[in-house]
Amino acid sequence: MKKLERRALLCLVLAGCLLAGLVLFVGLWAVRGEHWASSAFNRHLYNKQGILMSGTVLDRNGEILTTVDEDGNRVYVGDKARRTSTLHVVGDPYGNISTGALSAFAQKLTGYNLIFGAFGAEQGGNNLYLTIDAHLNEVAYQALGGKKGTVAVYNYKTGEILCLVSAPAYDPMNIPSDLEENEKYEGAYLNRFLSSTFTPGSVFKTVTLAAALEEIPDLESRTWTCEGSTQIGEGVVTCISAHGEQDIREALANSCNGVFGQLAVELGGDTLERYAEKAGLTSSYSINGISTAKGSFSFGDDVSTTDLAWAGVGQYHDSVNPCALMIYMGAIANGGKAAVPCLIQKVESQGLPSLPQFTRKTKTLISSDTAETVAEMMMNNVQTAYGTKRFPNMELGAKSGTAEVGPEEKPHAWFTGFLKNEEAPYAFVVLVENGGSGADVAGTVASKVLKAALEQVG
Amino acid sequence: MLDSLFFPQPLLAALEEVLEQNQTALWWYTALVRFVFPILALLILLRAFRGLLRLRRTPECWGQLALPGGGSIPICHWENILGRAPLADIRLDFPTVSRQHAVLVREESGAWKVTDLGSKGGTLVNGAAVEGSAPLQMGDTLSVGGIELLFLPLSQEEEKKLLSRRRSEGPVSMWPSLLLLTLFQILAAVQLLIGNLEERGLYPLVMLALTAVMWLYVLIMRGLGSRGFELETIAFFLSTLSLAVTLSSAPASVVKQLVALVLGLIFLVVLGIWLRDTARIQKLRWLMAGLAIGLLLATVVLGQTKYGASNWIILGPFSFQPSEIAKIFYIFAGAAGLERLFRRRNLWLFMVMTGACLLCLAKMSDFGTASIFFATFLVIAYLRSGDFATLSLICGGAVFAGVLILQFKPYIFRRFASWGHAWEAASSTGYQQTRAMSAAASGGLVGMGPGEGWLKNIAAADTDLVFGVLCEEWGLIIALLAVLSILVLALFATWACRMGRCAFPTIAACAAGSLFVVQTMLNVFGAMDLLPLTGVTFPFVSNGGSAMIASWGLLAFLKAADTRERASFAIEGGLRKGKGGART
Repeated sequence: MKKLERRALLCLVLAGCLLAGLVLFVGLWAVRGEHWASSAFNRHLYNKQGILMSGTVLDRNGEILTTVDEDGNRVYVGDKARRTSTLHVVGDPYGNISTGALSAFAQKLTGYNLIFGAFGAEQGGNNLYLTIDAHLNEVAYQALGGKKGTVAVYNYKTGEILCLVSAPAYDPMNIPSDLEENEKYEGAYLNRFLSSTFTPGSVFKTVTLAAALEEIPDLESRTWTCEGSTQIGEGVVTCISAHGEQDIREALANSCNGVFGQLAVELGGDTLERYAEKAGLTSSYSINGISTAKGSFSFGDDVSTTDLAWAGVGQYHDSVNPCALMIYMGAIANGGKAAVPCLIQKVESQGLPSLPQFTRKTKTLISSDTAETVAEMMMNNVQTAYGTKRFPNMELGAKSGTAEVGPEEKPHAWFTGFLKNEEAPYAFVVLVENGGSGADVAGTVASKVLKAALEQVG
Repeated sequence: MLDSLFFPQPLLAALEEVLEQNQTALWWYTALVRFVFPILALLILLRAFRGLLRLRRTPECWGQLALPGGGSIPICHWENILGRAPLADIRLDFPTVSRQHAVLVREESGAWKVTDLGSKGGTLVNGAAVEGSAPLQMGDTLSVGGIELLFLPLSQEEEKKLLSRRRSEGPVSMWPSLLLLTLFQILAAVQLLIGNLEERGLYPLVMLALTAVMWLYVLIMRGLGSRGFELETIAFFLSTLSLAVTLSSAPASVVKQLVALVLGLIFLVVLGIWLRDTARIQKLRWLMAGLAIGLLLATVVLGQTKYGASNWIILGPFSFQPSEIAKIFYIFAGAAGLERLFRRRNLWLFMVMTGACLLCLAKMSDFGTASIFFATFLVIAYLRSGDFATLSLICGGAVFAGVLILQFKPYIFRRFASWGHAWEAASSTGYQQTRAMSAAASGGLVGMGPGEGWLKNIAAADTDLVFGVLCEEWGLIIALLAVLSILVLALFATWACRMGRCAFPTIAACAAGSLFVVQTMLNVFGAMDLLPLTGVTFPFVSNGGSAMIASWGLLAFLKAADTRERASFAIEGGLRKGKGGART
């Protein structure tokens, strides 16, 4: 019998397998359970059409953007323009826009969590207040005028994103039947602000400038003469016109490729790479749990001198995420650090007070002295190049960009910057894909949106 | 016919009206009881677990062998190996004693006999050499390799002391657990009743019939003198979950499920009483082997296909899965007594029988049950032979055969193709697993409330995916407790080895425990995509008459290994009323 006792260890081994498997399952359940539950076929959270069946999304002023009607159907509130312009922050009913609130914040909307399960989720769900102002979104979407692109404005002190549109969008209550085929809607499921990267063009000069200010001591006493094209290395870096003699302030206002190309070569690839990384352009931010896209650059040793010069003015292989760029603008205005953007203002559960939302700061993206100088020069841009008339009563600093994206296509138009205004400490970014001149096209969009934003402040 | 009984229209209409007026109260009932259930389950089960897994136990004692230099060795089993080996039950560490020298066996009648195992030093009883085996009386002198031992009963005083010690270590009283389980059943019945009157009618009241059956069983058995009810408490708890899942998924089949449970109970009692007499068992082993193979063969010939495997026999209104019942006969035939352990031929016969069973199951393409039979085979064969090398070879052969089949008939395994990648095939072969996982995560720790899930509407939810339903409707805590219950049954079987009287019930208990474990693994991990989904049942819990009967039947093997004082009806009286010559 003792032999049997010894041999029965085999049964213990089997029992051990069951226990080990059970521990593994509990681990998976804890780690992936929330993902399992947020499947469109989960009838505790989604209705028969696979649409999130509880939760209301509101804008910062309490205007309802989407909710569930008495029959349990999800409805979007407001007119077509409101619904279209807020589509990417609210999300489409079928979860195709994964960064929209209905997908990304589904748990906050239904109140589902792994501990208490989905119990009570069908009872209407929670009220989720976004930080955006639906009116501003509408203005911004109209301002884009049917072009593809993105517009965002945020408060660099609190992190609240006031305006976020991505175009093309569509009306979630009347989803176009040709959504998947029509070229007009290409990339409609994408939130360009959060999930895309684009060639930055001249807006990247703000990074090259920051590097030059710190690494080249006599920068501000230097002058350059631009004749419209500059031989750098084997090739030529061209400007739109000959800018003549200029110092660094004027070179930035003129957006002179020759000057910044030479500076880039003088600084070297390693230094530029370091400053691009420090500026946060190569890292991903978490916006209430939504990860933004990372930008990328090629400054390596194998890059030719001419290409390095082009990379220094935001061309070559440079690509930048609009959100990261906007945060960098916030940091320039705010003495080196900005608040990390957020989209959720508060969540109201039935009868329960909402948890306070905390503001997180970025790490130092630019040293504070440099930030001050760059900010001053960017405000100079507006006065000397972009024109204060277009931006009345704004203490605006900005930089335009006209990013070449290929021989057959019109360049991307960028306009990005900040307001130095205690009441309205806003940073913004405007990108119009294939829009043409940055200062003209994107600048006009920015002008309309900023005016509207300041009206809201009163 | 039943439907009209369980849907009395005027009463239902009146009930409906009452419920309609108290919507909020009903919501609160569900919201609260879902927290009560896990607490009750913990209290019910932890008490039973504690009773079964208590490690310190005094073995039974049937006599002693007095050594020449003073002192004595107690005889704790009915089958004892005498020898020099460290694993001998009665260890005589003398150079003249062989490693396995002789076997000392107590027969059902209480008479003892000694069998020489071809030792070098020889065995003598009262000076006469033992050829083969010889009877041994109390007071006889047993000489093993020249060592003189006196075979004596325990003194009355020693016996009394032993008895009182064993009594103090006896089974834990299950009255509190049974009372709590009754409350659990009532709360569940109410929840299921008010949850969906339209669909379930008065069927949830069947749960109360289960309560009655449970108490009837316990009171009768208690009246007959057995005191250990931990195993049954666990089984009744799991059966309660089974009825609840059935009520949620297919309310009308709950009556069938209860009938199956009663049949299973009867099977348990009959088999348990049958197992008291080990001599009878030996005679019936051929019959049992024949029954196991016969049942499977009959299924191959008559079987009909449901959900991919053709393992159903349908006779008029009755349909059942003979492979479930065959498990019991298989263990019965496979487990062997000690005297057979030394003969290799028996193992070969057992292998042939296993091969026949596996072929039948493969023919039905019931690979889940085939794996269960194979795992059970390994456990029995290893316990019988201790031969790791041969069994490794067999395992290797099985893997090789699997690879061959995969090579030549890959389509057989196509329905397992999405194993581990269920989410990538969420609308095809991973459909059931992804639904089960999603539902399992929706329940949280305490569940959505019994009957309040949606997984129940998916095909095979109450059988193959039952773990998902448990997680969804009862919560992770209760689902885990259900699996732990099976684990405890297996641990109890393993621990019972030390206390076992003879080899047969010990091997059978280990085999039954392991079978439960393997089946639970295939069911639970299959539904959660950790193993291929093979469509086997969760013991006691899955909806299915044959499975329910088989689970309760297999429990008899565990009862037969429960040698705690006065614990089990499947064990001959113990010290209390030993019959025959041992202590006369």
